Amino acid sequence: MKKILLPLLLIALPNLLHAATAATQLEGGFKVGPAIILITILILFVLVGIIFRAKDTTDFYAAGRGISKVGSGMAIASNWMSAASFLGMAALMYGSGYHGLAYVVGWTGGYVLLLIMMAGQIRKYGKYTAADFIGDRYYSKALRAVGAIIAILISISYCVGQFGGIGLMFKWVLGIDYAMAVIIGGAVVLTYTLISGMLGVTKNMQIQYVIIIVSFLIPLFILTYKFDYFWLLPQIGYGSVVSDAITGLPINETKALMNSLGHDYAVVPVPEFAMPWDPSTGKTFFQWIAIAFSLMIGTAGLPHVIQRFYVVPKARDARWSVVWGLFFICILYWSAPAYAAFGKILSAHPEVGTLAKDAIVVYTAQLGNIHPLIVGFLAAGGVSSAFSTVSGLLVAGSSAFAHDLYVKVINPDASPKRQLLYARLGTILMAIIVTLIALKNFALIGQLVAVAFSLAGCTIFPLFLLGIWWSGSNKQGAIAGLITGGTVSVVAITYFIAGKSGITLPAHEFFSYWLEAWYFAWIGAPLAIVVHIVVSRFTKETPIEIRKFLIEQVHS
Amino acid sequence: MEPSKNDYHISFFRPTTDSARRNRNMVVQLVLIWAVAIFGFQITLKIIEKPVPEPALGQFKSGWTALESGNATVTEMRETGQAVLSVLGKVAIQPDHRLVLDNALSHLAYQLSGDKEALMASVSEFEAIAAGITDIRDDAYIEKKNELIPQLAGLFQLDDQDVRAKIAPLELKSSLMESFNESGREQMVEIMELYLIHNRSVLTDTKFLGFPFHYFYTAVFLLILFVGICWLYCVRTDLFNKKYGIED
Repeated sequence: MKKILLPLLLIALPNLLHAATAATQLEGGFKVGPAIILITILILFVLVGIIFRAKDTTDFYAAGRGISKVGSGMAIASNWMSAASFLGMAALMYGSGYHGLAYVVGWTGGYVLLLIMMAGQIRKYGKYTAADFIGDRYYSKALRAVGAIIAILISISYCVGQFGGIGLMFKWVLGIDYAMAVIIGGAVVLTYTLISGMLGVTKNMQIQYVIIIVSFLIPLFILTYKFDYFWLLPQIGYGSVVSDAITGLPINETKALMNSLGHDYAVVPVPEFAMPWDPSTGKTFFQWIAIAFSLMIGTAGLPHVIQRFYVVPKARDARWSVVWGLFFICILYWSAPAYAAFGKILSAHPEVGTLAKDAIVVYTAQLGNIHPLIVGFLAAGGVSSAFSTVSGLLVAGSSAFAHDLYVKVINPDASPKRQLLYARLGTILMAIIVTLIALKNFALIGQLVAVAFSLAGCTIFPLFLLGIWWSGSNKQGAIAGLITGGTVSVVAITYFIAGKSGITLPAHEFFSYWLEAWYFAWIGAPLAIVVHIVVSRFTKETPIEIRKFLIEQVHS
Repeated sequence: MEPSKNDYHISFFRPTTDSARRNRNMVVQLVLIWAVAIFGFQITLKIIEKPVPEPALGQFKSGWTALESGNATVTEMRETGQAVLSVLGKVAIQPDHRLVLDNALSHLAYQLSGDKEALMASVSEFEAIAAGITDIRDDAYIEKKNELIPQLAGLFQLDDQDVRAKIAPLELKSSLMESFNESGREQMVEIMELYLIHNRSVLTDTKFLGFPFHYFYTAVFLLILFVGICWLYCVRTDLFNKKYGIED
């Protein structure tokens, strides 16, 4: 056997190396180099997942609460840095300029709220899931079930964008159509999640963070170096790229630099790329503010983000893990606009054609003539970012399904084995639903993910904020607030889906603008909070056991 | 003794202990800094902004007025064409707007050309080659494009090395040369204003570390501030817990 394999390998290896390093076309065609890197990284993830496989339900849900502050910060960052951060943010800035920065601010500023208003208290409350907290704090099984259902809906909504990102990257690497790429990518991420379980995922997340951030930064150093900007700190160096885009870059100032298609590194003035709420982008000041606000309060209400605080040993660790997590996240968020700025100039020539915005990070690296293997590594980083988030979301969703719905509401006597089985079934069901929605390709990745934030901002955020900080917040208030936030969410999402399906509902323009699917929490969340407070004030007081627990355990 | 009905109340805004009061004050301070830094800056940006046109818009408007009155000189037609190319060179243009602009450019080139039939034939030939290729590195395609670039640069009085000259062959459409669609003509000013007027102020025009200041503030500084606020909160909470003997 060895006699046959060795010569075969000797013949195949040079060809394989040549194919792997050959320049890749922007669209279509199987890309050998990127495919090899992608497969290697996925195998690595699965292997690490197997090594750290969940042994029981406690491991599956909360990873044994045995992770350091920095490690937990990396896990927070990896869990957070999804396809929306890796691919979607640059896409939004590439398409809408300064408007895209509302997403950058929204997705980072929310951590300040989360930390100073909630993180330590959530850890002190000592529950496993968001629904656990809601059911306990509002002393209601029904609310626990509703909380679990909302957590599942948020996870599904969040996952849709991720599956879109995975699909786009698989499409780019394999040269297949988007639908097939989504199905293949979905199947791979589901297998990975099922195998590794929460403990494996948590350990993996630190490795994934390193892979994600390194793959994202390397091309940026090369781009800034190649195009003669300050490359030692590309996060600052790209400022001149933005200024060049504003003033325009004449050919005689480009020092014969070109993109991979042979076009001069030049552009006419495109101030719309950086000027605030530029009319040509069709985006307004109100939308900027509404998106930033909705994303920020959504951050503080996302079950899978909140759930991460349960895996640290102490409240102090929960607080410091946010600082580390935010810092690690910011490294990517400081860098993403650079891809949009380079992409704007490198793709300026009409011959480049219309590029899929959500893949602009990869196209920019390709147009910048970066080595195909590095571009492949970048694409693999994009897939990893989606994988790490999806696995966390599927676990959060399946936890809500098995732990909060099945065990706590339907069958309290379920054995841990049965519970784990239901968690697995929940994961599979969610993955199928998400795949089916992702195939519709409704909007940009970042926008799809923003829907989940608004949903969380309208529903979970008020329950946590008031539940932690006001003992007067009671069950009736929570129900009324949920109905209010839920109604706003349903109206916004109905108008969004109707619009995408070509159906015009009454006052369509009005609702599509003021309650757009990616920022309806700007009004939904404050309304839910006000209603929650008013109803709580006029109804039966919170039981003394809960108030006592809040003072003695949560705020002691 | 049983606790009374009014015991064990907690409210963020009505702290009952010294430690809770200090925590409340710290949270309020940090949230205020956070909110003013984010929203205060954007509101300021909105208040002081002014719609500022790109130079190309002035060039377009003077030429367009003459064109509309039917008295345009060659120079005015050229300047209008240059302005249209300045918009066509922007990456993100709505497809219906691009169609109108392509029509305007093609018609202007046709009017400016000494040999109209030859120009139309040349553009048609380039279109045919472009439709039949899968790779833009095709020799015939490049040759024809390179033939058109100086020709069009001459028509619009552009330097061969002007970015606009390089894109001109790709925007000309032989089918749109002979006439300018009436509805397109009506939309021209609106379209040009849409792409050539921008919201600017001292905050957008001041440079900082190579960035326009407002861009640096939002994309870089705010994120540093967020990490800083979080760090400060943790340090102060640790000190504070130590002082009050609070254990996590």
